[in-house]
Amino acid sequence: MDGQLLSETFVELTDTLVDDFDVIDFLHVLTGRSAALLDVSAVGLLLADQRGELRVVAASSEAARLLELFQLQSDQGPCLDCFRSGQPVTATDLGTDQRWPRFAAAATQTGFGAVQALPMRLREQVIGALNLFRAAPGVFDLADVRVGQALADVATIGLLHERNMRRSDTLNEQLQTALNSRVVIEQAKGKLAERLGLDMDQAFSVLRDYARSRNRRLSDLARAMVDGTETIPGPGAIRGQQLARAGQIRDEPRLGQEPRL
Amino acid sequence: MTDNRLGRIWGLVAEQAAVRGGRVSAGDVCAAAVAGIQVTGAWLSAARGGEAGHLMRVTDDLSERLAELQLTLGEGPSLDASASGGPALASDLADGESGRRWPVFAPAARQAGAAAVFAFPLVIGAIRAGVLCLYRDRAGRLSSVQLADALVFADTATLLLLDAQAQAEGDQGPGAGPGGQPADLGAHRAEIDQATGMLTEQLGVSITDAFARLRAYAYANELRLTDVARDIVARRLRLHPDPGPSLGGDT
Repeated sequence: MDGQLLSETFVELTDTLVDDFDVIDFLHVLTGRSAALLDVSAVGLLLADQRGELRVVAASSEAARLLELFQLQSDQGPCLDCFRSGQPVTATDLGTDQRWPRFAAAATQTGFGAVQALPMRLREQVIGALNLFRAAPGVFDLADVRVGQALADVATIGLLHERNMRRSDTLNEQLQTALNSRVVIEQAKGKLAERLGLDMDQAFSVLRDYARSRNRRLSDLARAMVDGTETIPGPGAIRGQQLARAGQIRDEPRLGQEPRL
Repeated sequence: MTDNRLGRIWGLVAEQAAVRGGRVSAGDVCAAAVAGIQVTGAWLSAARGGEAGHLMRVTDDLSERLAELQLTLGEGPSLDASASGGPALASDLADGESGRRWPVFAPAARQAGAAAVFAFPLVIGAIRAGVLCLYRDRAGRLSSVQLADALVFADTATLLLLDAQAQAEGDQGPGAGPGGQPADLGAHRAEIDQATGMLTEQLGVSITDAFARLRAYAYANELRLTDVARDIVARRLRLHPDPGPSLGGDT
């Protein structure tokens, strides 16, 4: 593991734990960094909706097939077992593992050979799981597991950025708020995908890049977009911004003037 | 696990409607919640989008008082829940946390006789239908079972409110069917949310109306909501602003 990248990752993550941060964006950064840091192909973060289901809240890639794989585990899979037991769950060879037939079939079909689920825990309460996927079957490196668990713990802390982290009421409030924010983001993805003729993964990138370039919270921007109080420019305007950043043109095209695709 | 809870909660709500002698409506959730969760009282306000809510049902005088107090003072768990999209859980209005969050409302509510208030926004992402509030005359947290039940009561109220709105506006009909249990939104949730977003563009309507159209289409064609959503996201199905959606992806 890259020691430098490891330090930078933790500094970056803890740096974002400031007052006005956006928890969904934070969790996306965390899953992205986890995928870069650990010897894995994809990382997903699932939270338990108190109604009793595991729901995807962030992933290192928004590719539909991947999200589906995470989502499947609401019925069966390492994440569900991990959530229920509060213990890490590992499958070193999905091709031969008998525990979760439907999940294993879907995972191997998507090209994954091994999976690990690490619990997100606050004292006695398990709130979700960090899910690591790897293409090659085999055991997970011990250092990776330790760092992965530390990242899962940082994710838990990130969810509770309020002062009073000891109250389970606060935890429950934050969880539900985060889950609802994710729904807003999915709605925004759909709206943007349709308007700009993109797939969901691309739509998410547009949303996120726009939020960052405007220094806006991802959840707030997504809501404003869905409510119709804000418009995200089409590819023409985005290209214009790229050129502007490169110093080639002076003015950005005005928002709202892009043709609807 | 989730199915049992949904069925059980729906049963409690339907029972209240039967006692009242009318069709199931969002207001029935209040009385059902009081019985099912063991709180002292409940109230529900309905709101369209970002507008301020109007009180739709109260189970007792103190509920009404607590609703009014928050409107008058401009602070309180209902307002926080509406704003954040997540619940506001005040297990003890006398503790430091409640005093910090609602410096005027917390003591006023306690004086009126409430010791704990739990507010649940009735939301599906950016779709906002109102707030469901519960109060207790004794301090104490909701247990995890009670919290799960409360969330499902809130989900039920959300769908019933949206149904009522859609019907009032003459849309094609409820997502549930007459007297029927609303569809479980839990399964394959992402596609439902994405399809709803897509429909705002396809139909040129608000997110609330887009969701109503999605459910109406599923209901009218006797399809599962998740299947319709999946077809829309995969661009196999497109809905049109005129009545009569088309299949096959033609524009």
